[in-house]
Amino acid sequence: MPKHIVRLVLIIAAALVVAAIAPRILKVDSFYRFGHYRANAVPEIAAREPVYQTPRYCYGCHTERRAQWSAGSHKTVICEVCHGPAQGHPQDVKMTIPADAVKLCTQCHEAMPGRPKTQPQIQVAEHSGGQQCTVCHNPHSPKITVATAKVSGNAATGKQRAAACSSCHGDAGISPNDTWPNLAGQSASYLVRILTAYKTGDQTDPIMTPLAQGLSAADIQNLAAYFAGESCKSETAGKPVGDAAAGAAVAKNCTACHGEGGRGGNPAWPKLVAQKPGYLMNVLKAFRAGLRKDPMMAGVSRGLSDTDIANLAAYYAAQSCQNTK
Amino acid sequence: MTEESKPTLNARRAFLAKLGGAATCAGAAMGAATLGILPNATAKSEPGADGASFPNENYDWSKHEWAFGVDATKCIGCLRCVEACKRENDVPQNAHQFRTWVERYVHLEGDDEVHIDSQQDPVNIEASGSEKTFRFANRYKDAKVYKAFFVPKLCNHCTHPSCVQVCPTGATFRTKDGVVLVDETYCIGCRYCVQACPYGARFFNEEKHVADKCTWCYHRITKGLQPACVEVCPVGARMFGDREDKQSPISLFIRNNRVQVLKAEMGNAPNVYYVGIDKEVN
Repeated sequence: MPKHIVRLVLIIAAALVVAAIAPRILKVDSFYRFGHYRANAVPEIAAREPVYQTPRYCYGCHTERRAQWSAGSHKTVICEVCHGPAQGHPQDVKMTIPADAVKLCTQCHEAMPGRPKTQPQIQVAEHSGGQQCTVCHNPHSPKITVATAKVSGNAATGKQRAAACSSCHGDAGISPNDTWPNLAGQSASYLVRILTAYKTGDQTDPIMTPLAQGLSAADIQNLAAYFAGESCKSETAGKPVGDAAAGAAVAKNCTACHGEGGRGGNPAWPKLVAQKPGYLMNVLKAFRAGLRKDPMMAGVSRGLSDTDIANLAAYYAAQSCQNTK
Repeated sequence: MTEESKPTLNARRAFLAKLGGAATCAGAAMGAATLGILPNATAKSEPGADGASFPNENYDWSKHEWAFGVDATKCIGCLRCVEACKRENDVPQNAHQFRTWVERYVHLEGDDEVHIDSQQDPVNIEASGSEKTFRFANRYKDAKVYKAFFVPKLCNHCTHPSCVQVCPTGATFRTKDGVVLVDETYCIGCRYCVQACPYGARFFNEEKHVADKCTWCYHRITKGLQPACVEVCPVGARMFGDREDKQSPISLFIRNNRVQVLKAEMGNAPNVYYVGIDKEVN
């Protein structure tokens, strides 16, 4: 055999030997176990620990929050969406309580083209005047559900029963003094709710509680129908302590529930238009001090100073019952 | 390109693959046979023959076939999925590299062109205030919007993945349960797969110096959890599940809706199914 052929055969043979042995030394065992890849990579990747723990992890301790959350409209938003991943909590990681609710909530609820109609959306400036969402909404169950009481009373029967109210609330529901509220033109649904609350003890007042306890459910319906049907009278006499113009700025935060100028929004909440300033101030201070209980008003009044309260009272007292806009 | 049907293309691919394989095998076998050192090559390609549960004792990949559903009609563009994915998977904290992302498609009145942006648009980065948080700027608030919608995107975990085909080292592969993964220890960072993906689903991770992509949170799904993006979606726009279970939400989603996949013409056979998208989305 020619020399160069022998050489060639030897080289090919050497190459084949290397090709046969090299993989045994260089190749990782699990390579080609299932295909052209390292099979052990799969259990390695699968072994990573989850960072997001799911609500089930949180349930263990936060039972109260769970009850609230799982009954509310945010039940599809898991804890870690707002509070961050729970890996390492509670040992090493402290969960975040979002500082800026407006920024957080508007991630989903800012009115924006492209968002489906079914998604509740707002313009913050119009909705709350930039106030933090958590003042009124409970983030764990944000839907505000105040049952709008049905009013089916008879105003004429209510008028007879209302004679007992006139010493404080005035004839036809226009209060003769600054301490007790006007009732004329008030939302009937609110009147039913508040009178029922006095009757059941959900709300207490040394004077109203015994009076309301003497009322039947039908009486409450009739009274509400009567007072709601009377016409609201704009405040003319007396000069309130506060500054109505300054109050207008603060009142922007109130319009979402109480309506523009306090002329009413949702019927479950009271109208504030032309209400007695002294009464408004007392009530706001009572909410602020926690003497009068309401989760929403407690939050709203917490940030108000005495001056704010006086200004607000002056603003609402000065509003005209008729919507002039 | 001339009109060619997908089966023809696939058949040609398969034929070429076989031709290449056959030529290599023939050469190797001939050489090895002459020397009598043929390693038992047949055992290598035998898949999961040992019958044991793989990848671990609690999870058997031969019992699942994962798929993902996106209902774009539900998406509100809140980007909680994007943020969760970043944190769950240790994705670099910048506004340019994502395993999943959300696109916004806006048609304005009297304008034929569709306006597309995602969370990495400079305007949206500015609205979020940082590169680590994500938010869509309300930039079309005052515009006359004819139609607008959001579309979540992620790796399609294709049945015929181009990225796997081009990987020179076997660092990326498709698992038996239908997930395309990256083996970080075998990736040499050549970025060929990043180029090959028709969906732009891969990126190069500068911190780890490897190709990076969505794994459908393989470490979660093998533990019975949902992927992080699905878990945090507040409106149920993302859906994940097992097609082996004919009654699973994903099976019903695919069966009960007119679903479509992205770039079907590429022949990759993607496994992310969409509802409520337009022709502009691909």
